[in-house]
Formats: sequence, C-alpha cells, structure tokens
Amino acid sequence: MTTRAASRVTRTAAAPRGASWIEALAVHVVFVLVAVFFLVPFLWLFTAAFDANAEAYIRFPAQPTLNNFVRIFTEHDFGRALANSVFVAGATMLLDVVAVALAGYSLSRLEWRFKSWITYAVLLLQTMPLSATMVPIYGLARALGLRNSYLGLILIHAAIELPFLIWLMKGFFDNVPRYLEEAAWLDGRSKLRALAEVVLPVARNGIGVVAGLSFLAAWAEVLMMIILIDTQDLKTVPLAFYEALRTRGGYTEVQYGIVAAMGVLYAVPVMAIFLATRRMMVRGLIATSRGL
Amino acid sequence: MVARNSTYLVGVTPAALLLALFFVGPALWALYSSLTNLALVGIDAANPRFVGLDNYARLFADPDFWTVIRNSVVFVVGSAVIGQFVLGLALALLIDHAEHRGWWLGALAYGAVLLAWVNPALIAGFLWVAMYDFFFGSLNHVFLSSLGFGPVDWIGSFPMPAVILANIWRGTAFTMIIFLGALKTIPPDIYEAARIDGANAWRRFWDHTLPSLRPIAALALLSITMSTFGTFIVIQALTNGGPGIATEVIALYAFHTAFKSFSIGYGSAIAVVMLALNFAFAVVYLNWSRARA
Repeated sequence: MTTRAASRVTRTAAAPRGASWIEALAVHVVFVLVAVFFLVPFLWLFTAAFDANAEAYIRFPAQPTLNNFVRIFTEHDFGRALANSVFVAGATMLLDVVAVALAGYSLSRLEWRFKSWITYAVLLLQTMPLSATMVPIYGLARALGLRNSYLGLILIHAAIELPFLIWLMKGFFDNVPRYLEEAAWLDGRSKLRALAEVVLPVARNGIGVVAGLSFLAAWAEVLMMIILIDTQDLKTVPLAFYEALRTRGGYTEVQYGIVAAMGVLYAVPVMAIFLATRRMMVRGLIATSRGL
Repeated sequence: MVARNSTYLVGVTPAALLLALFFVGPALWALYSSLTNLALVGIDAANPRFVGLDNYARLFADPDFWTVIRNSVVFVVGSAVIGQFVLGLALALLIDHAEHRGWWLGALAYGAVLLAWVNPALIAGFLWVAMYDFFFGSLNHVFLSSLGFGPVDWIGSFPMPAVILANIWRGTAFTMIIFLGALKTIPPDIYEAARIDGANAWRRFWDHTLPSLRPIAALALLSITMSTFGTFIVIQALTNGGPGIATEVIALYAFHTAFKSFSIGYGSAIAVVMLALNFAFAVVYLNWSRARA
C-alpha cells in the first residue's frame, strides 16, 4: 500500500470508466471472504486468551478475564521465558547490526575481481533451508558446547538471517554516494569512523530494517530452539508455548486458555512491530526480489 | 587500491565467520557424516565408522523415502505452486484493481493476508490445530454444526489437503506483495494506448498486464518453491507427519530419523539430498534473476 495515493493520482488517467454494480459487489464479496478466511483463526487466539474456560473452538467469553495471563506468569514461569527471549533476540539484533553494517558496507565498496562470486555465494546461502541443516547444526552445536547456552542461541540466530540481511544492507549502502565518506577520509577520519559517523546516518533506514527483522526473526524462530535447548532455565517464549500445546495427546488436557494467552504474548509483538514498520519492511522485501 | 580492499575484506570477516560456522560448516559436516554410521547414542556415537555410500543405498531402497518425496512434491505443488502463487496473484490483481477504483476494502484483505504471514509459524500451526480438531475444533463445532452437518475428521480423512490449506493461509502474502509491487511498475500509458486502440479490459489484461508480470512470476515461483520445500514447523505443529506418514515431508523425515531413531549418519544423508535438490533450484533461480538485472 506504500504508493497508494501516488498510484491513484498517476493512474486516474488510465482508470477505466465507471464500474458496474455487479463488478463492485463481486469484488467486495471476494474481499470480505478473503478477510474472513485469513482472520478467523486469529479470532480463536484473541477470544480464548481472555476466556477462563477456553475451548478449542471459537466462542466469545461469557466473562472476559485476564486470569490466563496472570496464571502463565504465576504457574508456568512465563516471566523467565519472556526475559530469555528478549535477551536472546536483543543480543542477536546487536550482533547482526554490527556484522551486517560492516559486511554490507564492505561488499558495497569492495573492488575485487572475485566480488561477484562473493555476492553469488551470499545469495546461494540465503536459499539454504534451515530444516535441511538442522541435524548437522545439532551435531556441531553439541561438539562445540553451544547447546543449552545463550551464546549458542545468539550466534546461531544471528547467522540464520545473515545472508538476507547482508544483501539487503548492501543495497542501502549502494545508494549512499561515495563522496560523503571520501570527504570524511580527507578530514582525517578512519574508515570505521567514517562509516559510523557519516555513512550509517545516511543509511539509517536500512539499519532500522536490519535491526527490526533480526529481532523479529530471533524472537519468532523455534526450530533451533527445539534442538538446542532442553533445560527449563533457558526456555524461551516459543518453547514455553510449544510445551503448553504438546500436552495434547498426553496425560494432561491442553489448557487452551493458557496456550492462547502465551500465543498472544508471542505473536502480538511480532505483528505490532511488523505492521508499524510494514512500509519499510515491504519495500525491503520487494527490493530483494526485484534487484537480485 | 590493494590497501583499501584489504580493509573491506576485514569488514566482511565477522559475517563470513558466522556463515562459515553455521551454513557452510553444517553442510560439509552433513556430507561427511552421511558417509559414516554416526549415531546419537550407543557405540556408534563414540566411534563412527566410514560406511561409504551405504546410507544412500539404504535411503533409496527405503519405500518410506519415496512416500516422503511424493508427499513433499504434493505439498509444494499444492500449497506453493497452486495455492500461494495463484491466490497471491489473484489477490494482487484484485487489490490493485480496487485501488484504481478507489475501493478501500482491498486494504482490509491486504492487512488480513499480511497478518497471517507475519505471525510465527508455530502459532500458525496451532491456530489450525484448533480449527481442525475433531471434537472441539471451530470448523466442526461452530461452522458445520451451525449448518446442521455432522463433524468431519479433517486431519484423519484429508491430512494433506489440511496441511496444504494451513500453509496457503500462512504463505500467500509473499507472492501477493511481490505482485503488487510489480503491478505498480507497469507504466499506465501502456493501458491508455491500448484503450485508444480499442482493446477491452480483458484484452488489456491478457496482452499487457500478464506478460509484464512474467519475469517476476518465475522468480516468485522458484522462491516460494524453495521456502515451501523446507517447511517444517507448520506441519510439525499440525500433524507431526501423521497420520502414519501421510504428511511426512522431507524436512520432518530428516528430523524424525535423526532424533527419534537416533541415526545421525542416515539423517545426514537425507539432509544432503535436501541440500542438493535445493541447490539445483537455487542455481536456476539466481541465474534467472541475474538475467533480469
């Protein structure tokens, strides 16, 4: 929706004559059906979380309550999971911003005959599915003592999104004119200081996208959490949620209210950050797919 | 020039180390351990032996493996090629059209599709567990019963369509966004000229809109094929590959082999097959996208 207003202006000339009411009705019915299909599953999440006797099906709570949210903290140690997740995602974000700023800038400015090979390799890595390498990553993490450790979680989550983020950030740096940093070098600043003080402020939108995406990815990711963590101390939000719903088929019944309350706290930050920054995110995404 | 480049090469180092450790390393390790009988527990865990191509021979002789490959193909074709691609394209065209008409309801559909995409995969999987549940799921307990129908065993009777639907729900936004972006780059004067030539809306669509989307469509298709091929969490949360191995795709198969039967060497052979297939797709993808640039 980024260029909505603009496209309306530029295209009014090309806009076809008035629509028939049948067309208007048909299009609107389709939109309503699409919205219903995509929103109904969420309806369950947001009603069950506030329902003291939540069930698997959608129903509006007779007496809305915050009790489920209180219980996940008092009975299910969700506070620890939240703290762990915020810490891991925050540290991942910091590491990614530094590594991506350095690598993206360097790749943007490098003049070397193997440069196209490096970019090609980065893009190739970007397409590698995590689910293919999870078994080897498990073996590697075990051998290096990176299982059940914050360091392991942070390093691996920083690595997962790295190829995509480097590529994205390189694009932002490509658009920063070189005379800016060259002027800074003449002032006697080092390469690193010129990058930090002159180039980064110009490319701050890119850094914002990198920070947002790396935080969100580490917050939401669950596959690596499952294979790397098996102690309660390091339990993160997705693991707490996973645990709560895995009682399905076990001896205890799933407490849907608890699962939903955890689900809300797990999903809402992701949705909120993404929707608040969606213009930038969507632009970044389109740029990636277009300019490869 | 050389000095300047060496600074830049230093700048790439931290990222390169992380990528070497967690991308290249695991891929090479998979290649190596697929040639051994490495196990998670027992005597083979401590002293793995080199077994040559035994793991691959065993894999290709395993009827389950071919079921899993077939499941993966059905899943990718159903949820990516048919579902996400067609639905994403149709939605992009409709939303773009509605924007020209000044109809705001397109924004609601756009937001709803986007919301399903940005929420974590694990949530997506569980939301559909709650939809499909036989006794208390929304589909049976609310939807079908209010229409006077009896319950349907969605996951038991239609396991693959059920996971495909859930994955379409989750993944359609990507193609929709890509196509919406591409539609905005079509210069409006093309349509103006066509209309002056007397082309009706249908002709303009077939002759101008679709051809200008073709290059981006090829890339979007390859891209969602690769990401759908690696789908793990949604299916694991929803069916865990069941009932039986009806929805066991290759990523789940690698996981179950390694962590349920504890054979890392055999599991690595599956990972290598996955990586090889993905690599083939990726090379085609990168060459096509380079041809465009």
